[in-house]
Amino acid sequence: MQDLLYFSQQLINGLTIGSTYALIAIGYTMVYGIIGMINFAHGEIYMIGAYTALIAITGLAALGIAWLPLILIVALLCAMIVSSSMGWAVERVAYRPVRGRHRLIPLISAIGMSIFLQNYVHLAQGSRNIGFPALIDGGFNFGSGDGFQMSLSYMQITIFITTLICMTALSLFISRSRTGRACRAVSQDLGMANLLGIDTNRIISATFVIGAALAAVAGLLLGMYYGSVDPLFGFIAGLKAFTAAVLGGIGSIPGAMLGGLILGVAESMTSGYLSGEYKDVISFSLLILILLFKPTGLLGKPEVEKI
Amino acid sequence: MRTSVKKLVTAVSTSVALMGAGHAAAEIQIGIAGPMTGPVAQYGDMQFSGARMAIEQINANGGVMGEELVAVEYDDVCDPKQAVTVANSLVNDGVRFVIGHLCSSSTQPASDIYEDEGILMVTPASTSPEITERGYELVFRTIGLDSMQGPVAANYIASQSPERVAIVHDKQQYGEGIATAVRDTLKDAGVEIAMFEGITAGDKDFSSLVTKLKQADVDYVYYGGYHPELGLILRQADSAGLDARFMGPEGVGNKDINTIAGEAAEGLLVTLPPAFDQKAENQALVKAFQDKGEDPSGPFVLTSYTAVQLVAEGIEAADSTDPFDVAAALREGTFQTPIGTVEYDKAGDMKSFEFVVYEWHSDGSKTPVN
Repeated sequence: MQDLLYFSQQLINGLTIGSTYALIAIGYTMVYGIIGMINFAHGEIYMIGAYTALIAITGLAALGIAWLPLILIVALLCAMIVSSSMGWAVERVAYRPVRGRHRLIPLISAIGMSIFLQNYVHLAQGSRNIGFPALIDGGFNFGSGDGFQMSLSYMQITIFITTLICMTALSLFISRSRTGRACRAVSQDLGMANLLGIDTNRIISATFVIGAALAAVAGLLLGMYYGSVDPLFGFIAGLKAFTAAVLGGIGSIPGAMLGGLILGVAESMTSGYLSGEYKDVISFSLLILILLFKPTGLLGKPEVEKI
Repeated sequence: MRTSVKKLVTAVSTSVALMGAGHAAAEIQIGIAGPMTGPVAQYGDMQFSGARMAIEQINANGGVMGEELVAVEYDDVCDPKQAVTVANSLVNDGVRFVIGHLCSSSTQPASDIYEDEGILMVTPASTSPEITERGYELVFRTIGLDSMQGPVAANYIASQSPERVAIVHDKQQYGEGIATAVRDTLKDAGVEIAMFEGITAGDKDFSSLVTKLKQADVDYVYYGGYHPELGLILRQADSAGLDARFMGPEGVGNKDINTIAGEAAEGLLVTLPPAFDQKAENQALVKAFQDKGEDPSGPFVLTSYTAVQLVAEGIEAADSTDPFDVAAALREGTFQTPIGTVEYDKAGDMKSFEFVVYEWHSDGSKTPVN
């Protein structure tokens, strides 16, 4: 019983962190699916989302507003708006001018953008860790009073539910809406979609905006869950999310979700049963193994050579 | 046109060179190398504040051998790679005395360069024993060693007769070093160590670690490392309902841990150098800091002040600005400083340095416990 509770606790920890990896991974995978480039600045967009949410929360607190749902909604909206505009601007400034050139050029442009945004936040917000207020406290406890108690916090529940809502909304959007259909068309064949009258520039911008908005959601959630933000944390989270996207099959949206969850659970199980020191070793070994046996990732489709 | 540009360039560079030369003759440059930015910049603030004050006061009293001290400041971000770059630019700039670095992992690689290039280094904060274990001639510190700090912490924990203790560290030179010292002392005292584990510095998710600590049912958790990670561990442990007392070295003892951990920082135990700013003989100095609007209570402010003072007194005692002569003078002399009487052994460590256990509060204040 004790062991089962412990296992469930580690599973919950892993799924929580995994769902936020998935939210960030969507941004990588959508952009890759449509224009075949890796947007390395995506982790920074997520970090900026977290900072914006923090600024909004602090601002509301200064105004004396203490009603939690209002704070969360305003923070979320601010973060999504700022991150989305950032995502849009990054695409306009750094990627559109070099689109269609050699693959390496947008990649380097993306790395440059990532370094620029990181340093911009360093300058604007200082390089220290800033504490993030824990707005959602408390939770459920399971298990007898004496032994190991499993806890499921309201924060973790919030993360699951929000991720679920975002993912469902995104899937519906992609499969049902007009823009979603256009997205799928562009990802299949950009040139053909263009010929058929789809404004591909607009669709590509929309992809960046959607990815950035989801990253902002993850920024707010993780900021509250962990408790602090610093200008570098987008980089590490971005790396993990990118791994999750590759693991699940880059370009595939369900793949990003699956990859995120697997990575999160693998990390928490490793630190739970082996040692925290091996956390990254195991998760990246997993990545290498999957890529060795299934180079397109778990749910990725083999790329068909277009003639 | 071309020749006139050439002439201009020559003229400018000559005058710059002359200015540089004029500078060097009347001044002694003191390099201050530490983190001005980065996750542990608050410790850098303490270091720079203390060293600047010392330089200011020494200059106000007529300088050293009639020459003025000039601070040259470098930012190493507490990054070993950056520290090497900083050390090289110090060499290039012709600086011969360095106050720094702060993080042991930066001090170690930088000190290799200083020793090779004949630059005297006094670190006001690096506590890793390895720094002075290599028989270097020009390496000194104005702080104790992990091998002194670890046992103080371990003895305190042992005195509380806990059933099980967990030790966590950040896998860096400082954190792992001190965690190992604590573990060894606890083992000798017969305390059961349920866990000895590393985390990754810069990580934010410690939920698995906290779950593991809960499962291990420990009474005390010793953390070797810095405050950004411990702050998060405290907070996540608090929300997961982990009932254990945390303890850490001086690297966690600053007010920033409160902004991260909030209420969860209440009751944290920290080993720190004694509160030098509380000593009666330092009150004039404390007032000088307060007049400048600076806070002298940080653990590294007065150690940095002392480091500058020692360099200055070493130069006077040796009657030379040659770093090797100054080093010899420092080893021979006995110095009265704000952190007490300083005498050096052959390795460059102070012969005695005391650490005290404090209880940290959620408002950022601290009270001694023994």
